[in-house]
Amino acid sequence: MIREQLGNKLFFFDGGMGTLLQERGLAPGELPETWNLLHPEEIRGIHRAYIEAGSDIVLTNTFGANALKFHADGYSLEETVKRAVQLVKEAASEAGAGTGEEKESTGKRRIYTALDIGPTGKLLKPMGDLDFEDAYEAFKEVMVWGEEAGADLIHIETMSDTYELKAAVLAAKENTSLPVFATAIYDERRKLLTGADVPSVIALLEGLRVDALGINCGMGPEQMMPVLEEYVKYSSLPIIVKPNAGLPKQKDGKTFYDVSPEEFAGYMEQIVSMGACLIGGCCGTTPEHIRAAVQRCRNMKISRPAEKDYTIVSSYGQGVMLGDGSKIIGERINPTGKKKFKQALKEHDLDYILREGIAQQDNGAHILDVNVGLPDIDEPAMMKETVQELQSVVNIPLQIDTVDSEAMEQALRIYNGKAMVNSVSGKQESMDKVFPLIRHYGGVVIGLTLDENGIPDDAEGRVQIACRIIEEAAKYGIRKKDIVIDALAMTISSEPDGAKVTLETLRRLRDEVGVKTVLGVSNISFGLPSRPVINAAFYTMAMMNGLSAGIINPLSEDMMKAWYAYHALMGLDANCERYIGHYSSMQTSASGTAPAAEHRGMISLKESIEKGLKEDAAAITAELSEVQDPLDIINTELIPALNCVGDGFEKGTVFLPQLLMSAEAAKSAFAILKDRMDKSGEVQEKIGTVVLATVKGDIHDIGKNIVKVLLENYSFDVIDLGKDVPAEQIADIVVKKKIRLAGLSALMTTTVVSMEDTIRMLREKAPWCKVMVGGAVLNQDYADMIGADFYGKDAMQSVRYAQELFENGK
Amino acid sequence: MEKRMKEAIRYLGYGRNTADERTRIMIENTFTEMDKVSGPKYICRVFAVKQMEDEIIKIGNMEITSRSLSRNLKGCTKAVLFGATLGPGVDQLIRRTSLTDMSRAVIQQACAAAMLEEYCDEKQQEIGRKLEEEGLYLRPRFSPGYGDFDIHYQEPIMRMLDCAKNIGLTMTDSYMMTPTKSVTAVIGASPVKERCPIAGCEACSKTDCEYRR
Repeated sequence: MIREQLGNKLFFFDGGMGTLLQERGLAPGELPETWNLLHPEEIRGIHRAYIEAGSDIVLTNTFGANALKFHADGYSLEETVKRAVQLVKEAASEAGAGTGEEKESTGKRRIYTALDIGPTGKLLKPMGDLDFEDAYEAFKEVMVWGEEAGADLIHIETMSDTYELKAAVLAAKENTSLPVFATAIYDERRKLLTGADVPSVIALLEGLRVDALGINCGMGPEQMMPVLEEYVKYSSLPIIVKPNAGLPKQKDGKTFYDVSPEEFAGYMEQIVSMGACLIGGCCGTTPEHIRAAVQRCRNMKISRPAEKDYTIVSSYGQGVMLGDGSKIIGERINPTGKKKFKQALKEHDLDYILREGIAQQDNGAHILDVNVGLPDIDEPAMMKETVQELQSVVNIPLQIDTVDSEAMEQALRIYNGKAMVNSVSGKQESMDKVFPLIRHYGGVVIGLTLDENGIPDDAEGRVQIACRIIEEAAKYGIRKKDIVIDALAMTISSEPDGAKVTLETLRRLRDEVGVKTVLGVSNISFGLPSRPVINAAFYTMAMMNGLSAGIINPLSEDMMKAWYAYHALMGLDANCERYIGHYSSMQTSASGTAPAAEHRGMISLKESIEKGLKEDAAAITAELSEVQDPLDIINTELIPALNCVGDGFEKGTVFLPQLLMSAEAAKSAFAILKDRMDKSGEVQEKIGTVVLATVKGDIHDIGKNIVKVLLENYSFDVIDLGKDVPAEQIADIVVKKKIRLAGLSALMTTTVVSMEDTIRMLREKAPWCKVMVGGAVLNQDYADMIGADFYGKDAMQSVRYAQELFENGK
Repeated sequence: MEKRMKEAIRYLGYGRNTADERTRIMIENTFTEMDKVSGPKYICRVFAVKQMEDEIIKIGNMEITSRSLSRNLKGCTKAVLFGATLGPGVDQLIRRTSLTDMSRAVIQQACAAAMLEEYCDEKQQEIGRKLEEEGLYLRPRFSPGYGDFDIHYQEPIMRMLDCAKNIGLTMTDSYMMTPTKSVTAVIGASPVKERCPIAGCEACSKTDCEYRR
């Protein structure tokens, strides 16, 4: 069927639908899909005109037909979708063409009915409020109806968000047997609206195994060409191009497009010669445009795009290609050997984990390894949540690191992009478990060179296992480019030849097998003193022998020095720009202008906090804590400083940025003192625990975050439940932990309603708990009306209320 | 001082006070930082305006009951529906900074708000110049949520502009715009030239607001 012909035969899609419907009287804001039932003859007429113009593939009038977007009372969505499919088939019959339903060969031209799937019009979490699985369900039902009604393929288009695109493709692949086409909408920067670049979109779609992919809408054919060039460079799949008839222009309040059919055809000829295999039109194009394009391009020869050999992992924002220099995979999101990290996992302190991610990216990591495995925690749930949260604050790809296949699957499913996966081994059992997941969700998987017999102690043995992993993967259709082999670094303290074997393995994998490689570099020095000395030297040697990506600690200065130097030395850093950019600024800070060195000895800790000098406060605290008791420092320096700033804020002499700079400075001082006290076993008594949440439906949490920082400064423990938090979740934790004070924030009148619901539930389930509220639309009257105990006009007032409550209660 | 700097300082709660130099430098640097991550986009369409009965007004096919909007559009023959956003990059940066440094996060927040206003003003002036050729003059922008112009009108406005597809602007179930640094508005166009082309804050009836200009 059409699958086999893709890339061998030039296919023509139809053109615009919306613009033609508007000409026939569709009002702005009216749902075009209702016309399938209201004015079927108009829809059928448009389909027929396209078929007569030469379109082979006709899109159903279902672009906005999904439960999230289609709110038309009195119209059944199912009926609307199914009727849409029939209308294409009826139009084909009317035009004397075949629809694939004929019992025998009729010699008629075959028309393919493509179920058109557009975006939901909602933004997915965490940027918006639509859950990934809800988006999936909305797409799924429409696709199932479409297949039932006889659609020949599913055409997902105009997607501006890779996450939504993934939900749609998964829904199609998991619930229908139809071919899946997917096209996205780019802007003039060659990016999606949510920031993704071309390689990342292609990596995602190829990983999910769509049948064809491409570009539609947003631009005219001329502007699309640079995007197409990138598609041709990266795609191994047939490419679809459906431009608008130029850029939209406005006249008399109407939008119009002004590329004529002849001009359009000329551009499309060029587009086909560049490598497009399926062409058509989007907004503003008409049957005349398609007719002209068909006439111009009909006899052009096309060829299936060549198989590309790039190893690309992607996040929502960018693709990272392995093989161009050596990439850095940050290893710090991993509890192994890290007490604080383990504690953060146990206490569900996601912010701690997220900060580890941010710090590593800021230090130069290209990919982040994510391992949250710990006995006694629900790893699949934790992994899923961590991946979701991380991808909302770092835009580099993640490496899902787990031996729990349930955790691996859940993370792969909700990951926004094509993930790196750590790992599979040469053990049959491991390959049987991991490869089906990679086949289903896409991904670049790390293959460990060990098998049932353990780790071979020579390079030959490791290379053989690598080849076996590659062979086994091929059975699943997973290509060599999507496998990265871990040559395994064994500590030289117990294996004298460990480094040599690993380096030889790397070299042979590069030269003989032609596969990308990875290493957990620092294993090499296990058991030795001054490990960074060995690690950095070995890292350089490994890169020299072809290491495509090193799993390292990007916060280690030694490792980063090795990385920068290697790339500068090997001509992998044009004009040493990166090296100079990094180290020239380092020099100035080393020569004495660094803020921490600037004021030391000149100002007191109290002053540094009052002035909000974070680095100074940390440096001074470190020095001071050598000679003074931490609790003493808190009582004589920190608390008076905070009080002074807090008073100033209340009097109107200190303003919010300064208040928070002081808070951040105090926080950095507290962190150092806490380390000291942890070591000496001393504890600072906390005043009490406060639960904070931005209520259900509300996604503006900056006010709540300000309150959190201040409360923590004033020795409160804060349980931060985040934003868009359901009332039950807040009530549950308040009950479970017998919390005495809950702080709720809401920004708009529409969400104060959920604040009121939350208060009602708290009154019922936790009558002992006081509730303080804050947010832009609130005032005292409003707060009284919804039954809050306290209205905090600003963050300091919330702190004062909390202090009063807990201190009086003592 | 640059207008957007003044605005950012106002959003930070300084009222009529001036910010110290260090804060001003931070604001300046933040604008540079935000310029890199923001991808401002807008969409507008012109519709006919009909005053129906008292307090009811029709823009295209959308009927709106609102005394304050009716007053704003009095004498207008047309109205521009307008949507603008700074894009998701700004939200991501603020979220990220909130985890590491709240003082910078609030400054980013204020700068983003100031940038959005500035961008809307610029675009409104461009639109105004075009409409002047047709002899129409713009009124101040009026957004759902102002006065008694119900926030729920945001939904049909965004649908009529097809904001999701055109500029990536969407809305949550509770009518919050995502990306958050976004605006939808009605801009009246009247054949009579009046004095004040751009005015947002000053037109509001909440005169005791601490953020008032």
